[in-house]
Amino acid sequence: MITEREFLERARLDRRTLEVWIEEEWLIPGGSAGEPAFTDMDLARAGLIHDLQDKMGVNDAGLGVVLHLLDQMHALRRALAAALESAHDRGPPPGG
Amino acid sequence: MNDPYQTLGVAKTASADEIRKAYRKLAKQLHPDLNPGDKKAEEKFKEVAAANDLLSDPEKRRRFDAGEIDASGAETAPPHARYYRDYAAEGGHPYEGREAYGDFAQGDDLFADLMRRAAEQARRRPGADLHYELPVDFLDAVNGATKTITLPQGGTLNVTIPAGVEDGQTLRLRGKGAPSPGEGPPGDALVQIAVRPHRYFTREGRDILLDLPITMKEAALGAEVKAPTTTGSVMLKIPKRSSTGDMLRLRGKGVKARGGAGDELVKLKVVMPKEAEPELEAFLAGWNPAANFDPRKEM
Repeated sequence: MITEREFLERARLDRRTLEVWIEEEWLIPGGSAGEPAFTDMDLARAGLIHDLQDKMGVNDAGLGVVLHLLDQMHALRRALAAALESAHDRGPPPGG
Repeated sequence: MNDPYQTLGVAKTASADEIRKAYRKLAKQLHPDLNPGDKKAEEKFKEVAAANDLLSDPEKRRRFDAGEIDASGAETAPPHARYYRDYAAEGGHPYEGREAYGDFAQGDDLFADLMRRAAEQARRRPGADLHYELPVDFLDAVNGATKTITLPQGGTLNVTIPAGVEDGQTLRLRGKGAPSPGEGPPGDALVQIAVRPHRYFTREGRDILLDLPITMKEAALGAEVKAPTTTGSVMLKIPKRSSTGDMLRLRGKGVKARGGAGDELVKLKVVMPKEAEPELEAFLAGWNPAANFDPRKEM
């Protein structure tokens, strides 16, 4: 668990920006509202947001869309991996 | 290391704006988080980022063009230790797009069935394990204790430290980790114990080691002295003619563990008085050791 103060420092963020990112649900920290707790994953996600903004010139409106689609893609990739694994466990379908 | 101009696909005469545009285009194509299945994306992306670092800095670009530094001379530390995709691949986190495949799971064909199972699996996924470190006093580690950890995300966690816990040992508290993102069981809390050193006890397995200072008189004549143990003081009989380094064993006064308690090993250490002792000095000056005793005979 990473405290808010440590997170701001490691993610190179100021508090106001972090508040906006959380409001927009670009970041969803754990813990309570008064004392949020961050994970290494949140830190990596902050790095991705920086990259999208600074390196690729994605603007704020586009960023939410990109993150949402990325998260859906990861969910699909996991679902597909699980489905393949499950198919593998069950052997070939009858007649197939 | 490749030519950074080639890496970005720009001419040597490219303007700063052309370089920026070329870099953005490649970054969008190659960023590892936009290519989660492509293991090579990270490598390519780093190469492009390094080329951009070099060419977007006029001074570095000038020095590279002048042959003062090579392409790798400008490489900075990798932008991230781990990419977001490394975490997102795992699941069980707040960013999951849960309904992304809902429509696939509607029908009753094989694929829909597999998707439903995958969704079910994701729903039953347990919460993440949370790691904590707990410093524990030496005596609490030996005798056992109950400690309360205040959690960074609020709340507290009661930890029962079993007697005899060792430095670096990890206690698993079932169900005290993060809650499941779905309807699975919570994860576990893993508490790593860091035992603080003691002022005069040390530990070796089940045995407690103690250096016990005694006076010359106690060493020569024998005595009963108070010796500390981890559960309070006991009277210890010092035999006549004890020397520094002699080891006395207090049976059962070591660490209590399954399969019996260890011992406390008391190593004697004869300590001379700090103040002048004229009487002692006068006596020793006129004293002849009996039976020509030579402690260095074996050397």
